[in-house]
Amino acid sequence: MAENVKTNPVSGFLKKIKPEKKPKEVKRSRKEERERFKKRLSTLTPAEQKYLNRKRMFEKVWPFCRALLIIGLCFVILYPLLYMLSTAFRPRSEMNDPTIVWIPKTFTLSNIKEAAKAMDFWPTLGNTVFINVGCSILQVLSCAITGYGFGRFNFKGKSILFFFVILMILMPSQIILIPQYMFFRYFNPLGIYHALTGNYINLINNALTMYMPAFTANGIRAGLFIFLYRQTFRGLPKELEDAAYLDGCSPLRTFVQIMVPNAGSTFLTVFLLSVVWYWNDYYVSTSFFTDNSTIALQLKNLEASLTRIIFDNGNVQVNSRELIVWMEGGCLISITPMLIMYIFLQRYFTEGIARSGLTGM
Amino acid sequence: MRLSYERKKGLYGYGFIALWFIGALFFFIIPVFESLYYSFFSVTPETGYLAITKLTDSSGAVNYFLNYRNAFLRDAYFSTYLVSVLRDMLINTPIIIIFSLFVAIVINQEFRGKTFARAVFFLPVIIATGPVYSIITGDLSTTGAAEADQFSSMFSSDMVDELLEFVGIYGISDTLTETISTLTSDILNLIWKCGIQIIIFLSALQGIPASAKEAAAIEGATSWEFFWKITIAYISPMLLVNLIYTIIDTFADPTNLVMERIIQQQDDWLYGYAAAMAWSYFLIVLVVIGIVFALMNKVVYYDD
Repeated sequence: MAENVKTNPVSGFLKKIKPEKKPKEVKRSRKEERERFKKRLSTLTPAEQKYLNRKRMFEKVWPFCRALLIIGLCFVILYPLLYMLSTAFRPRSEMNDPTIVWIPKTFTLSNIKEAAKAMDFWPTLGNTVFINVGCSILQVLSCAITGYGFGRFNFKGKSILFFFVILMILMPSQIILIPQYMFFRYFNPLGIYHALTGNYINLINNALTMYMPAFTANGIRAGLFIFLYRQTFRGLPKELEDAAYLDGCSPLRTFVQIMVPNAGSTFLTVFLLSVVWYWNDYYVSTSFFTDNSTIALQLKNLEASLTRIIFDNGNVQVNSRELIVWMEGGCLISITPMLIMYIFLQRYFTEGIARSGLTGM
Repeated sequence: MRLSYERKKGLYGYGFIALWFIGALFFFIIPVFESLYYSFFSVTPETGYLAITKLTDSSGAVNYFLNYRNAFLRDAYFSTYLVSVLRDMLINTPIIIIFSLFVAIVINQEFRGKTFARAVFFLPVIIATGPVYSIITGDLSTTGAAEADQFSSMFSSDMVDELLEFVGIYGISDTLTETISTLTSDILNLIWKCGIQIIIFLSALQGIPASAKEAAAIEGATSWEFFWKITIAYISPMLLVNLIYTIIDTFADPTNLVMERIIQQQDDWLYGYAAAMAWSYFLIVLVVIGIVFALMNKVVYYDD
């Protein structure tokens, strides 16, 4: 703002017609450059000389090493994906051809089509979006509300309640699986349903088993998300909130209109992680379902369903090297939705992560 | 009745966490205590309910801790698995931490293609948690396909052994060479495990104030000195977070040996026994985290 006040419009206009001359760059040969450097160096103390020399050396060598390192590591990470692309479009017979390393001689879509058929892809995708993506979006919101409560208000028993949030992060979900299962299997709404009707409601195979925990900020890795939100909201300036209260904003409205827009990058980070973890989960979603089909689960059972559906119960002979084309094809279609999402969000994700409340504990 | 501003705010606080509290009560707090209760009894599923009976030892006396005793003394696998998981964690955690810190420092610098490099380094976070990862690493061999190894075998090599032999060192210590060679041959697995840790370190590095960097530059600090005296100090809180995250991640991984054993007991309907195992495992994890906290407490520096 300060610069705007200082700049007066006339001088700006003058600048336009008469651009300031840049100081002329003096061209020197490399030899002269070195001479000048040595001359300057000789005026310094030996310790300073040593420091500068070392720094110069380091600055020359390091970018080269760094480039080598980054390219190498990027290759290691991208290798499985490149391999996936290379094999998924390859006819099975070419898997045994030693002359083909990366680029197949012919391209085919049949592997992917058959893998999709074995995975029952479109209905599965619909189901995954309905259960997993729906839950993860609900969880982003419910965890934000909880995180705000913990980050911005003081009330009795806050520390003991927050201790349970920490415990949620630390405790493996397997410990509480069976009591949870019993809760859903013999669901007793308000604790009086059984007394009134003599029955229980069986929620196994019902999407509510996923939605209820997500809605109440108790879904997959919810503890971590609540913690992240709490850190973010605690880090926002107190004045924001006080100003809103003074203007007669209710706490809920303050939260929605003032705090949420300022925590955008955390929302994005949590959204991305939540979607990914729900998408890749098969443990929780198999525990409460007997015949659930999500992408992760279908992919886990892909080999069996390939044998059953595509290879005609083993009548079609496929060796394990050839099997790769279908497996990688299945992988490719399973991660494509996540990859597309990542490509769109990664810029905000990688740039915004610094402000996402991880720092400033 | 008029409430004071602070009291009113406190009440709103309850309002904000109410949703979570109701959920946590039914989906977390009650189940936690229930499973603790189960661990002292023999629990078997019957139609409609769980049959909970008291445990009696060989002499016929009631022994509430029989499940725990059996887990540690009778179970042929549990203790061995526990030791191996602990040992793996002890070896892997420092490697993961050092490696992800190194990568975070490198990609935090300014260079061409920085955005691309970062996007690539976070890619494992998107993929590495699901069954895709097991297919990629070739672990998913339900038919026992040995060739499935070749997915990741491109990066495994016997370089270390050959190098040591070339230098003229034969069989110094099997565990040492084994550790080194798993480290080098497992670079794929290593880097695919580091996504979250790199993110956390990167955010910590970006939080180092410019004034600290400037001061160090004026005083003529070398990069080495800068790393130890500025970087480590400023990121130490995140170092702690990362250490704990890594430990929990390793421990709660459903594919580790102890977890597999616990799940297997659950599948065999031995709920009480599985709960006892899970609880003793969890308490060990807590002890490990407690030790890490105590050790790191002296190192962690808070810039207030």
